[in-house]
Amino acid sequence: MDPIYPWLDPVEVRRLAERLMKPDREPAMAVADAGFGEGFVGYASEQVAAVVTQPPPPPREESPPAVQAPLPPESPNTARGPFLDRITRFRDWMRHNFSATGIFILDREGAVIFDESNHGRLHFLARSLALASRRPGASAGNVHVKIGAGATLEVIPVETAYGCLVLGAVVPDALDPPSVLAVMDALTMVASPPVES
Amino acid sequence: MISIAVSSQKGGVGKTTVSINLAHSFARAGVRTLLVDADPQGSVGLSLTRQSRLLAGFYDYLADPGIPLERLIVPTRLETFSLVASGQASDYEAGGGGMGAHLARVRAFLRSVAGRGFDLCLIDTAAGLFGVTGDVIASSDAIMIPQQAEPLGIRSIPKLLEGLNRLRVMNPRLTVLGVLLTMVQNDLAESTEAAGALRQLLPPEMVFQTQIPRDGLFIRASARGLPIGVLEDGAGAQVVFDSLRAEIETKLEPNSGHHAARG
Repeated sequence: MDPIYPWLDPVEVRRLAERLMKPDREPAMAVADAGFGEGFVGYASEQVAAVVTQPPPPPREESPPAVQAPLPPESPNTARGPFLDRITRFRDWMRHNFSATGIFILDREGAVIFDESNHGRLHFLARSLALASRRPGASAGNVHVKIGAGATLEVIPVETAYGCLVLGAVVPDALDPPSVLAVMDALTMVASPPVES
Repeated sequence: MISIAVSSQKGGVGKTTVSINLAHSFARAGVRTLLVDADPQGSVGLSLTRQSRLLAGFYDYLADPGIPLERLIVPTRLETFSLVASGQASDYEAGGGGMGAHLARVRAFLRSVAGRGFDLCLIDTAAGLFGVTGDVIASSDAIMIPQQAEPLGIRSIPKLLEGLNRLRVMNPRLTVLGVLLTMVQNDLAESTEAAGALRQLLPPEMVFQTQIPRDGLFIRASARGLPIGVLEDGAGAQVVFDSLRAEIETKLEPNSGHHAARG
């Protein structure tokens, strides 16, 4: 008995082999486009393909967000507190309005600038999703992925005065477009440079 | 610099033997070569350095961003040949985490190696195409796949090809140098038939013309902690690895502009 051929499909093997030998059959991921620098690790296709949903970007003209104002109103002339204070208040607001936990914020290089998740894999996933959501000529949209029963990782890239920040938060259900818009506005405000009095 | 992962689906196919002797061949030819032991079993280190279990190495670098590459590099008597041992981070022996978990550190490692002036980084990985090995392949310029010339090994080829196609999605620039037949026994019909079947099965450019014979010299070289070419009667075996090196150089240059320049 032939010790090899009955065990495999030569046509399929040949097809797989020829596919492998073709140089650069897919364009390399444009890491630079993501704005995360050389340290960014890209995304594993297995993680992204099955479960990601990407809602269309929320139209700015929609009715005001159903959630309450993100941060206590401040006069433009009021000096804000330190950045960390503002982020902490933002974190509390996220918890209060969206039951969010495990909140973290990454900067455009992919570095962690705030984290209460203590979970590097979530950071990796968020960076990957943020990269995957980018389209040429358009800003990144929010993306969410279910990571467990009653737990969804919401990833919201936000253009701020400090560049693109990526917010990650674990929420019970994916946020609706008005809520995403509210979160983006709030984070933009948090990341705005302090106004000198 | 070019990085080549030496990987296989199955264990025990001669990855470490190929890695050590191929790296030595490149280094003898003047290519500044770093041989990295990315197998938690530490086979390269155990083969070539008596103190390998005391050395910080590749897995320590993955675990601790504070470790500079310079601390890991072990020079050899050949100026162009250096090693990085597997290291002490033994928790990786249980599998080392999921795919992608160490991608950033592996890439940082390779950037450091390139910055250190090496022309070639040859990485001996653990068996399988997942975990840290998957991250190494997803970060390397090229991969070479040793495959024992025996029927059971050949039957695992479809799984190997599927795994490599998946990794190629993560690393589209990965050049597949090909499958290298190892432990070929010309006096054993089953071995030569398996080698022949593999050559029939795969496209010719995917199987190296050079094949590595089963030879007691490899065991003797390993016992003395030496590449085979250093043994007094190892010149014949060294020719085999020089031939493999020449094949690799031919495959790399026209394909991608990768070139392991001689220092």
